[in-house]
Amino acid sequence: MIEVKGLKKSFGDNLVLKGIDEIINDGEVVCVIGPSGSGKSTFLRCINMLEEPTAGTIHIDGVQVTIEHINETRKNMGMVFQNFNLFPHMSVLENITVAPIKVLGMKCHDAEVRAKDLLKKVGLEEKAEAFPSSLSGGQKQRVAIARALAMEPKIMLFDEPTSALDPEMVGEVLDVMKALAHSGMTMIIVTHEMGFAREVADRVLFMDDGYIVEQGSPEELFGNPKEVRTQAFLSKVL
Amino acid sequence: MGLYLDGFLIALKGAPVTIGVSLIAVALGVCLGLGIALMRLSKHWILKIPATIYVEIVRGTPIVVQAFIFAYGIPQLLQANGVPFKWDQLIIPAVIVCSLNSGAYVAEVIRSGLQAVDKGQMEAARSLGMSYTMSMRLIIIPQAFRIILPALGNEFVTLIKETSVLSFVGVVEIMRKGTLWNAATFETFPAYIGVACAYMVLTIPLSRLVNYVERRMAVDKKDDAPKLPIDKSEVAAEASLRKGMV
Repeated sequence: MIEVKGLKKSFGDNLVLKGIDEIINDGEVVCVIGPSGSGKSTFLRCINMLEEPTAGTIHIDGVQVTIEHINETRKNMGMVFQNFNLFPHMSVLENITVAPIKVLGMKCHDAEVRAKDLLKKVGLEEKAEAFPSSLSGGQKQRVAIARALAMEPKIMLFDEPTSALDPEMVGEVLDVMKALAHSGMTMIIVTHEMGFAREVADRVLFMDDGYIVEQGSPEELFGNPKEVRTQAFLSKVL
Repeated sequence: MGLYLDGFLIALKGAPVTIGVSLIAVALGVCLGLGIALMRLSKHWILKIPATIYVEIVRGTPIVVQAFIFAYGIPQLLQANGVPFKWDQLIIPAVIVCSLNSGAYVAEVIRSGLQAVDKGQMEAARSLGMSYTMSMRLIIIPQAFRIILPALGNEFVTLIKETSVLSFVGVVEIMRKGTLWNAATFETFPAYIGVACAYMVLTIPLSRLVNYVERRMAVDKKDDAPKLPIDKSEVAAEASLRKGMV
C-alpha cells in the first residue's frame, strides 16, 4: 500500500505539486491522466524519489520512503520511462540482468534464466543478444518493462510509456501492460491513452495544476465527470 | 639532403623518451582526470572547489612555466629550507608535470563526456536500485568513455607535441636531441627540420588512427543517440581549447 500525504514539489519558484493526498492499495491499477504540466509525471517521480519532494511524506507498507534508504525502496519498485532509457552499451540480456546481478547479488546464470523468461513474456525471446540500437521503439519499451520486472518489484510505475512510440507500436506495449495488470501487480500509470485507462484501470486520477482534481472508477470518471476541468479536458481528448 | 636525414635520425633518437613520457603522462592523466572530473561534478563544495582550482591553475599557466617550477623551483625551495633534495633524473619532474597537466585537460574532456550521457541513463540505473557510485561505474562512465575516446586520442597527440617544452629543463627528448646536434654542428635549419619530421612521424599516424576510431564509432551508434553529434562537438571544442589540435 502506498500512502501519499501532503505531497508538494517545487522547482525553484514554480510549485508543481500543490498538495497530494492519496492511497493506492496493493494490486490496484491506477491511471493518472491530465493536461501537460499538470504534475502527473512529477507525482510519479516523487514516489520513488527521482524528484525529492519539497514537503509531505510517502509511506510504502507503512515504511516511510526517505532519500537515505531509497535504494532499498527502489528494489521493490520498477519504473518505465517515456524514453525507454535502455543502456545502449549493453545487450538486451545484459540490460535485464545487470541490476539483479549487481544489486540483488543473483548468480549470472539464474539472472539469465529469469531474463529469458521475461523476454518470452514480452514476446522478444529472439532479441536477447541484440543491442538496443537495433530495436524498434515498441521493442525497446518492452525490454524496458522486462528490465524493471527482473527485480521482481511489488509496484510498477509507468511514466507515459507509449508517448514516444509510433502509433502502430503502442498496442504491443499496452498488451504487455494489460497482461501485467491482470497478474495482480500494483501499477501507477501516467498516460494519455484514454482507451487503455478505461479498459485496464481500477481507478483513474485526473490531475490539473498540481492537484488531483477528481478521481473514480473509469466508468464514473469518463462517463460522468463531475468537475468542470475534468469535463473540459475529456471533451478535448476523447 | 644527407644533412636533413642526419638531423631527422638524430632527432628520432629522442623519440623513445618523448613517447614514454607522453604515454605515462596520458595514462596517469586519465586516472587523475577521471577523479578530478567526478570531483567537479560533485555536489559537495569540499570536492568541487579544489578540483576547480587545480584545473584553473593548470589551464591558466604555460606548461613551460610548470616544468621550470617542478624541475628547478621545488628543489631550490626545499634546499633553501635545509632539505637536501635533487631530482635523480630530470625525467621524473618531466613526467609529473606532463601528468598533472594532462590530468587537468583530460578532466575537462571527461567532465563534458559524463555530462553528454543522457540524464535518463542515471535515472534508469537509480530506479533499478543501483547506488550513485554503481550507476556511475556500470552505466555512465562506460558510455562517457566511448563518447570521449576520440578526444582522448587528440589529447595524446597534443601531449606528444607539448613534451617539446621539456627540452628547456634538460630532458633529452626529440627537441633536445635536435638542439644539441645544432649546437655541435651549427646546421640549424636541417636540425630543426629533422625535429619537425620526427614529431610528424609520431603525430600524423596517431591522428589518422584517432579519426578512424571516431568514424567507426559514429557508425556504431548512429541510431541510438541522436544527440551525439552535438555532444561530440562539445567534447571536441573542449579538447581544442588546448592550442593546436592536429
